[in-house]
Amino acid sequence: MDKFRMIFQFLQSNQESFMNGVCGIMALASAQMYSAFDFNCPCLPGYNAAYSAGILLAPPLVLFLLGLVMNNNVSMLAEEWKRPPGRRAKDPAVLRYMFCSMAQRALIAPVVWVAVTLLDGKCFLCAFCTAVPVTVLGNGSLAPGLPPPELARLLARVPCPDIYDGDWLLAREVAVRYLRCISQALGWSFVLLTTLLAFVVRSVRPCFTQAAFLKSKYWSHYIDIERKLFDETCTEHAKAFAKVCIQQFFEAVNHDLELGHAHGALATAPAGSAAPATTDGAEEEREKLRGITDQGTMNRLLTSWHKCKPPLQLGQEEPLMGNGWAGGRPRPPRKEVATYFSRV
Amino acid sequence: MEKFRMLFQHFQSSSESVMNGICLLLAAVTVKLYSSFDFNCPCLARYNTLYGLGLLLTPPLALFLCGLLANRQSVVMVEEWRRPVGQRTKDPGIIRYMCSSVLQRALAAPLIWILLALLDGKCFVCAFSSSVDPEKFLDFANMTPSQVQLFLAKVPCKEDELVRDSPARKAVSRYLRCLSQAIGWSITLLLIIVAFLARCLRPCFDQTVFLQRRYWSNYVDLEQKLFDETCCEHARDFAHRCVLHFFASMQSEMRARGLRRDTAGRRPEPPLMPNGPDGLDGDGGSKAHLRAVSSREQVDRLLSTWYSSKPPLDLVASPGLRAGGLSHRAATVALGTRLPQHTDV
Repeated sequence: MDKFRMIFQFLQSNQESFMNGVCGIMALASAQMYSAFDFNCPCLPGYNAAYSAGILLAPPLVLFLLGLVMNNNVSMLAEEWKRPPGRRAKDPAVLRYMFCSMAQRALIAPVVWVAVTLLDGKCFLCAFCTAVPVTVLGNGSLAPGLPPPELARLLARVPCPDIYDGDWLLAREVAVRYLRCISQALGWSFVLLTTLLAFVVRSVRPCFTQAAFLKSKYWSHYIDIERKLFDETCTEHAKAFAKVCIQQFFEAVNHDLELGHAHGALATAPAGSAAPATTDGAEEEREKLRGITDQGTMNRLLTSWHKCKPPLQLGQEEPLMGNGWAGGRPRPPRKEVATYFSRV
Repeated sequence: MEKFRMLFQHFQSSSESVMNGICLLLAAVTVKLYSSFDFNCPCLARYNTLYGLGLLLTPPLALFLCGLLANRQSVVMVEEWRRPVGQRTKDPGIIRYMCSSVLQRALAAPLIWILLALLDGKCFVCAFSSSVDPEKFLDFANMTPSQVQLFLAKVPCKEDELVRDSPARKAVSRYLRCLSQAIGWSITLLLIIVAFLARCLRPCFDQTVFLQRRYWSNYVDLEQKLFDETCCEHARDFAHRCVLHFFASMQSEMRARGLRRDTAGRRPEPPLMPNGPDGLDGDGGSKAHLRAVSSREQVDRLLSTWYSSKPPLDLVASPGLRAGGLSHRAATVALGTRLPQHTDV
C-alpha cells in the first residue's frame, strides 16, 4: 500500500511526472486497443487502400491529440503565450521547452500504435494486396489475360480468406506471407528509427545549450506549480468567504429577530452573544480571507493576476497601487529574504 | 481498503475532482454495459433499422440524463438560475460556465457508447443492411429484387439458413462494418480536434473573465454545501434542545402533580439537567447565532430568506435583512471600496 501511495504521490508531484504516468498508460492502452479492435478489411478494390490508410493514420492522430488535451500544460502554454507582459517578462525559451516536452510525451502512444500495426501486418496486407507481383508469385502466364478491373477485384479479396476465389491465379498463403514479411520489416525499421532518434536527441542535447535548458526547465516547472498553488489558494479563499458569509447571514437573522421580537421567546438567547461568537474559529477564517472581502476586489485580483503577473523577485515590498489593485494585504509586512533570486 | 480510501480522498479534494470521478465511473459503467449487452438483430425488413438506430441512440440519451442526475452541480446551477435577485446580483456568465461544465461531463458516457457501437459495427450492419446498393456486389446479379431485399435483411444474422456460409453475406457485412468503423473513427477524430482547439484557444479570449467565472461558480458550489452543513448542525442543535426541554418539562410537570409523595425508601432523584436550559452554554459559545433561531416559523423564515434574498458578496457591508439597516453595521461601505484590513464585525 505504501508503495502505491508513494508512486501516486510521486506522479502527482508535478505536471511532468503526472504526464509521464498518463503517457505510459496511454501507450499500454494503445496496444490494448489495437488488439481489441476488430480489423475488418473491406476486400473491395477502391476501399482497401482508404480503409487501411485510415486505420494506420487516424488512431495515431487521435492518440496524439488526446495526449495533448489531457495535458494541462496545453492551456498553461496558451495562457503564458497570450498573457500581457505586465511586470513579468515573457521568455520564449520557456514556451519552446514546454511545447517540446508536451509533444514528446504525446508522441509515445501514436508511435506504439503505428509500430504494432506494422508488426501485425493486417493493415499493410489490406492496403497493398492489389499491388502484389502476380507474375512472380503466382501463375504468371494467366495474369495478362485478365482485364485489370477483374484482376484488381480478385486480388482485393486476398485479405479475406472466406471469400477469396482466386486460388487458380495466386495462392492466398503466398501473397499473405509476402506482404506480412515486408510489413514486419517496415515495422522493425520504424521501431529502430524512432528509438535511435530518441536516443540521439537525449544524448546529444547536453552538448548544446545545457545551461539554457536547465533555466527553461526550472521556470517551466515554476509556472506550473505557481498556477496550481494559485488555484488552491483561490479555493481556500472561496471556502473561507462562504463560511463567513453564511455565519454573518445567521447572525443577521438572529439580530433581526432580536429587534423584531423585543420580548417573548428570544429572551433566553443571550443578546450579547454576537460579539464573542465571532472569536472562536472565526478569526482564522477571516485571516484566510487575507483582507479580500467583497466581490469587486476579488474580481480585480483575478484580473490583475492575468493581466499583470507579479515580478519574479521576492524580498521587496512591491507597491501594488500602480496596477489599480487596492491590495488589502494584512500587516505586518512580510520580510522574506531570499538568498538568491533570478530574473527571467 | 487503504487504496480505496486514498482514491476516495483524492477525488473528494475538490468538487471538480468529484465530478471528474463520477464522469470516469459512468464511462467505465458504459463500457461494461456495452460489452455485456446481448445484441439481437431482428433480421426483418422494417424492424432492422428501427432496432439498430434505437440501440445506437436510446442508451446514450439515458446515459446523458444519468450524467446530469449524478452531477450535483446541475442542481446548483438551476438554483442559481432561478433564484430571485435579492441583495446579490446574478451573473449570467457564471450560469453559462456551470452549464457548459456540467454538459461536457455529462456528454462523455453517451459519446463512449456511440463510438463503441460504431467501432464494433453490429448496430450499423443491422440498421443499414437493407439499404445497401446491390450493384456493388456481383453476387446479386442472379437474384430478383425481392429476393435481394430478403437476403439483405438477413445479412446481420450469421446463423440464418438463407444466408449461412454465403460469400455474398460476408461481403456485404464486411462492407458495412468497414463503413461503420470509418464513421466511428472520423467522429472520434473530429471530437478530439474540437476539444484540442477549445483547450488551446480558450486563453486567447477573455482569460480574465474566465478566471472570474471559474472562481465564482466554485464559490456558489461551496457556499451551497456549507449552508447545508450549517443547517444540519442547526437542526441537530435544535433537536437536542427540544428533547432536553421536553424531558425537563415532563419532570417539572410530575413534580407539580405531587407524584413524589414521600422520600422514604426512595433514592434521591438526581436533577435531570444540572444546569437547566443553560447547560448548553458550555457547549460552544460560537453556536450562539445558530441557537437564536429556535422555532419552526423562524427556521422557515430563515430558509425562505436564504432563497429569496441571498446576502451580498461583501463581508464588510451590512448583510442586514431589513432595508432600513437596523444593525449598527449598516453605516459602512458600499461595494468595492478599500478598507483597512481586519474587519471586526
